[in-house]
Amino acid sequence: MHIIRKIIAAFCLSAFVVSAPAQNADSAAVETVRPVLSAYGVEAGSAHLADTYLTPLHYNGWHTALTYERMQAMGFAPENWVMQLSARISFDGTQNRARNADMYNLEAEGAWTMMRRWRNPWNLSSLTLAVGPGTSLRGGCLYLSRNGNNPASAKGAWTVNAHAMAAYNLRLGRLPVTLRYEAMLPVTGAFFAPEYGQLYYEIWLGERKGLCQAAWFGNYFRLVNHVTADLRLGSTTLRLGYHNDIISTKVHDIVSRRTTHAFSLAIVTEWISLDRGRRAAADARFISALY
Amino acid sequence: MKKSLTALAAAICLLFAAGCHEIEEYPNTYMGNFDQLWQLFDEHYCFFEEKGVDWDSIYAQYRPRALNCRSTQELFGVCSDMLSELRDGHVNLSSWFNTFYYRAWWSDYPQNFNERVLQENYLYFNYDQLGPITFAILPSNIGYIRISSFDSGIGEGNMNAILAKLIRTRGLIIDIRDNGGGSMTNIETIARRFMHGRTLAYSIRHKDGKGHNDFSEPYDVYFEPQADFLLWLNKPVALLTNRSTFSAANVFAAVLKECPQVTVIGARTGGGGGMPLSYELPFGWGVRMSAAPIHDARGNCIENGVDPTPGYEVNFTDEDSAAGRDPILDTAVNFIETNGF
Repeated sequence: MHIIRKIIAAFCLSAFVVSAPAQNADSAAVETVRPVLSAYGVEAGSAHLADTYLTPLHYNGWHTALTYERMQAMGFAPENWVMQLSARISFDGTQNRARNADMYNLEAEGAWTMMRRWRNPWNLSSLTLAVGPGTSLRGGCLYLSRNGNNPASAKGAWTVNAHAMAAYNLRLGRLPVTLRYEAMLPVTGAFFAPEYGQLYYEIWLGERKGLCQAAWFGNYFRLVNHVTADLRLGSTTLRLGYHNDIISTKVHDIVSRRTTHAFSLAIVTEWISLDRGRRAAADARFISALY
Repeated sequence: MKKSLTALAAAICLLFAAGCHEIEEYPNTYMGNFDQLWQLFDEHYCFFEEKGVDWDSIYAQYRPRALNCRSTQELFGVCSDMLSELRDGHVNLSSWFNTFYYRAWWSDYPQNFNERVLQENYLYFNYDQLGPITFAILPSNIGYIRISSFDSGIGEGNMNAILAKLIRTRGLIIDIRDNGGGSMTNIETIARRFMHGRTLAYSIRHKDGKGHNDFSEPYDVYFEPQADFLLWLNKPVALLTNRSTFSAANVFAAVLKECPQVTVIGARTGGGGGMPLSYELPFGWGVRMSAAPIHDARGNCIENGVDPTPGYEVNFTDEDSAAGRDPILDTAVNFIETNGF
């Protein structure tokens, strides 16, 4: 219970923390190296789309995405804080139940998160827990090929998110494996929302009143779940995973939903950035963002 | 600990409940499709008041017929009959075996246009063509522009070329008879050539809720002429219309009618004063309906058409057609000869 209280307190505080001094007494004496964990991945799976601005029907089909993730321990307190930068481009192709119309979704997203982490909580030596705030920018468009004056529904959102992560290191035989679960939940922000029957032609003409709406759970709900297994095959790591993204918005009586389930595959590399000709000290402390 | 976990679980449930936005789903049955069709119009159609249609009583009238349907073709017929009650040329229902659209907005009226007569007896098959625009100089030195459609793009360069050729004529006839509409952006490209300054062209509203009278405030659309374009400001213009002048062409007529040098000659236009939106039914049938009403610069709804200038309503009889005459064009020529330079 104590650790849960600590986690909640840390999350609340971290939203306002700009910097904090490093507390490690050894840090002055020993060089600290913070490797960057970069993951380049692809996703494939299923998509469910619905948007009442375009159609009252639900569409189902496939989902695919290109993903990038970068994690690094943060400079001011590398043992306790990590940052994560992620980007993705998704493309979904779906059909209605009658299979006579296609709806496509193309979107891009970038997110930045900083997390307070606890290593070995409850004396579980292989477990890491982390929580923290983040922010993301997401933009895209749904396109329904059969419609005339309303063929597209644009999506745009900037959100402040709550982020949580749990990682567990284990061995499969001699192979080191890191299991990770991550969840992301937008808490507030702003998003693009035309009025109930507003034409994009009107927006183009200049009627842009009320297009930006404040987001909260009631009108902008999103939950991203990501489960991964990092198989550390030497200098390169193979990441297998499952990615689930649920988003549901309702504003001006327009409901828009998107749910994807995808298998993800990524190549992960851990690298360090050093000045030309310089090597890390032999006794340097390597503080990984995840492992 | 147990209480905290219960509270956490309750908070998560509340979160999901708040985030779960319902989309009403209709079953893919005859009645499910009928009900969804009725509901879509109930929530999105914009001209119930102008048409004087009680949509609830229409439901009561047609639902029993839908209940007795034994085939999709039969249901399509019932749905088409129901939509006919709206008397709206922008209303369509498209299935894989048929497409419904309301025709009486033009079929119940004289056509007032004969392309063959125009080409043979007035243009002598001798004219220039730029996309959907035909233009020529008539024998009495009157410029003639026929815009058969607003579907394809019309550029400023096109308009400069057309007006450059006709600039020395005594006056101009713009013929938009049988123009069924197209892109609204073409309206501005052409109409701004006839405006003296920044001019209120039309206003547009949209549904801002599901109620029949839930509309946004009108948004005024202004057109601005530009100094580097060829303008047509002082010589008279005759705009020819008929019942098949529809949709974007109907808006064009409403916009140009407000220009002081323009006289509208012919018959009332066919209307189509609402921008249409598209939806669909569980069967996969496509639905289209008027959803965003357009008003002219005086604030009048133009769904029921644009009238000719008083004193210039002219009809075209079968005898005229047989004799190779176009009385509407003849009236326009006389008007320019009388009022032109």
